[in-house]
Amino acid sequence: MDEIIEILSGIHPEIDYETEDALIDKRIFDSFDIVTLVGELTDNYDIEIGPEELIPENFNSAAGIYALVTRLMEE
Amino acid sequence: MSFVSFSFAFFVAAAVLLYYIVPAKHRYIVLLVFSYIYYVAACGKYVIYILVTTAVSYAASMAMEHFREDTEKLLKNGELLNDRARKKEIKARLKGRLKLIMILCLCVDIGILAVLKYSEFVFANINRLRLDLFGNTDFIGFGNLVIPLGISFYTFQTAGYIIDLYYMRYRAEKNPLKFALFVSFFPQIIQGPISRFNELSVTLFNGNRLKADNIRRGLCMILFGVGKKLIIADRLSAFIGRSVASYEVLNGEYMLLTLFLYSMQLYADFSGGINITIGVARLFGVEITENFNRPFFSKSVAEYWRRWHITLGTWFRDYIFYPISISKRLMKTGKRLSGVNEFFGKRFSLYTATIIVWTATGFWHGPEWRYIVWGLLNGIIMCVSAELEPLYEKINRRIGWSDTSVLHKMFSVFRTFWIMSLLRTFDLSVRGLGQAAGIFKKIFTEFGMIHSATLEEMGLPKDELMVAMAGVAVLFVISMLQRKKSIYDRLMGSKEVYRWIVCAASLTFIVIYGYYGPGYDAADFIYMQF
Repeated sequence: MDEIIEILSGIHPEIDYETEDALIDKRIFDSFDIVTLVGELTDNYDIEIGPEELIPENFNSAAGIYALVTRLMEE
Repeated sequence: MSFVSFSFAFFVAAAVLLYYIVPAKHRYIVLLVFSYIYYVAACGKYVIYILVTTAVSYAASMAMEHFREDTEKLLKNGELLNDRARKKEIKARLKGRLKLIMILCLCVDIGILAVLKYSEFVFANINRLRLDLFGNTDFIGFGNLVIPLGISFYTFQTAGYIIDLYYMRYRAEKNPLKFALFVSFFPQIIQGPISRFNELSVTLFNGNRLKADNIRRGLCMILFGVGKKLIIADRLSAFIGRSVASYEVLNGEYMLLTLFLYSMQLYADFSGGINITIGVARLFGVEITENFNRPFFSKSVAEYWRRWHITLGTWFRDYIFYPISISKRLMKTGKRLSGVNEFFGKRFSLYTATIIVWTATGFWHGPEWRYIVWGLLNGIIMCVSAELEPLYEKINRRIGWSDTSVLHKMFSVFRTFWIMSLLRTFDLSVRGLGQAAGIFKKIFTEFGMIHSATLEEMGLPKDELMVAMAGVAVLFVISMLQRKKSIYDRLMGSKEVYRWIVCAASLTFIVIYGYYGPGYDAADFIYMQF
């Protein structure tokens, strides 16, 4: 989880990722940020993130992103 | 049957009456029948294209659903409970099948759109090349094909549904009539919005009960939309057409005024049409996604495109931009390039996808080079803006502008408005890129004063301009009011007497200042042509 927060902080350092749970809904992350984040996640965790995973539920919070990464690593 | 005509009003009234008379479970059939009556009245025999798209997409969706159900049954099999490798194999096989069906279906759906809308452009360019290179005057092509009403909108809506089924975001609609209604729902067939099945279907097939709030809101939205169209958009239409047609003899200041007024006209026309669409749907209790969110208050071009024609933007984002930008091939190429140049490699997939998406968006607007250039410029501006962001922040810090500073916001809004207005030169230049270049040259080299006599000659007397500007001022005030709460929510939450006063005043202004009546044809909605 800490690693995920570190990656997220590299994109938007001003956000408190421990509490923020609407990164997409509040438009804190735009499509450019999402693509940058996906690039970082695929590099760091050796996973493949398909377009079908790019839904707000998976990217609204650090916890959601962590759950997505964990699931894809298990698959 | 124009949205702003008495025949359309009677058509909608008849549909609403029948909708609420028929038993709830059959109400969607009333909408389907009226949708096809509307479509046949507008397109006649060319209804065949929407029928083919509907039939092919329905068959594809059923095949996808069949394979999905089969796979789910297989995966529930107890023997596979601990066999992860086998499960993975079964899922991969399903994905492969869904992908094949999706591709075949999109080839037909997008193929129809491509042939009807773009073949003439492609052949014209091939013929020109053959003439220039080989002197060949033996022209090839399909001839002039008729582009049926709303084809770009219903094709994209259906394609989105098929792609979502491939992503397994929801289940396929098994009732063919309900699916046909999703493709052809008449209020949105002309100019969108491009709805998502999981959002629209919630209220489209329900057989909604008659609710006073829906009727009140619907009528209010329609009134607002008709007002925008007849008081502002149609009033400015003649002047803008004449001004652009005679740009050679006009100075830059007239071109700037034209671009400003065109921004107002386009917004009033398109958002007015969408107000009517959402309002008419609301009369049946059907809720359609909003397509605008105060776009002229955007502080950047990227933000503008998140607020203008929202459903087209999210369509391109979800179905083109994301799949391209995070594709394995582009990501790998980006990584390889990072070894040579880290700056370029890191941005490669992002900016490649941006340029592709914006070129496609330009092409979606029309099969002409001016739209392609317009799209490309939008994409380039977004990439450059993203790179300039740190520089902007540095400058802002130096001059003491914070993100919350009113002056900073006003400057950003002003800058974005004029970037978008200048880009609309391509939209207006019906004679092609040469005309656009000519208009830009006028704007940046020849400048003087605006004379009311010239405006009058061009079809925009002072009093007409004042009425249009008063309408724009009303839109501005409403936009300000909408910052925190929708104007309709405000109105519906107010006392009955206020509602009546606002509606009566709106109707009075439309009757007095609207462009309509004998000898006058309401101009077509601009987005109908797309």
